[in-house]
Amino acid sequence: MTMTPAADHDVPIPYMQRTRDYYQALGFAPYRWAHFVDVPFTSLAKPLAESRVALITTAAPYQPGVGDQGPGAKYNAAAKFYKVYSDSTETVPDLRISHVGYDRAHTTADDPRTWFPLAALQEAVKAGRIGALTPRFHGAPTNRSQRVTTETDIPELLRRCREDGAEVAVLVPS
Amino acid sequence: MSLVARHLEANGIPTVIMGAAKDIVEHCGVPRFLFSDFPLGNSAGRPHDPESQAQTLELALRVLETAPAARTTVQSPLRWRDNAAWKLDYNNLAKLTPEDLAERRKEFDVVKAVIKTKQADV
Repeated sequence: MTMTPAADHDVPIPYMQRTRDYYQALGFAPYRWAHFVDVPFTSLAKPLAESRVALITTAAPYQPGVGDQGPGAKYNAAAKFYKVYSDSTETVPDLRISHVGYDRAHTTADDPRTWFPLAALQEAVKAGRIGALTPRFHGAPTNRSQRVTTETDIPELLRRCREDGAEVAVLVPS
Repeated sequence: MSLVARHLEANGIPTVIMGAAKDIVEHCGVPRFLFSDFPLGNSAGRPHDPESQAQTLELALRVLETAPAARTTVQSPLRWRDNAAWKLDYNNLAKLTPEDLAERRKEFDVVKAVIKTKQADV
């Protein structure tokens, strides 16, 4: 460990300010991010080693025929999805993130494990660190209004988590 | 994703978010958050570095187990690079020329048109 002082810019990127300035320069209306005072909290009912874990991702299943979704692909709006989807946690599915604004200057998205930790979770099951994975993981759409997210997608995600007997959930935005 | 975490938690399912956009997640307010100070797209660890991916998941699981209250954020000690200059680039107006901006505006218009068409299909 070094005790050398860090550079002033070596802080978490102020994404909201950057995006506000950027949208304004492009001539778009300012975006309003979700913002709440109250935050719910539920304690774990039992140890993780005995718990069934759900995984929720914003990554999209690869769709043939809708353009480049590979490593380094430009932002690809055609690869977006608009409904909650689910797939088996028994395999590692082909998920991509060309449909979201990841940092294309500094990462190429050529290793799905950096945004979808299913393999690491499968290892955690084998090691006894978590009890089990739910039979399915779930995909959360990213591109609708907060109203549609709140009224349509989120209740559906809760329903599927309950159906699968999820006791805790790991959520990974990409 | 922050809205999902809040809804699951309010309905009895404890959650942890693994993410890289600290201000956005905290602005929303979530129960538990493992923050990796990495470029967006690497919420679950460094590319081609299984050890960092395993460490990142383990930290997230520990946050899940040990958070004492809502709005618990833990920052991963992992570094993307020794040099933090990468943080100056993302959508940074100071680094974009008027030509860059015009190009991006055009791209945005295409994106918006595609989304509109696809949403109409749903």
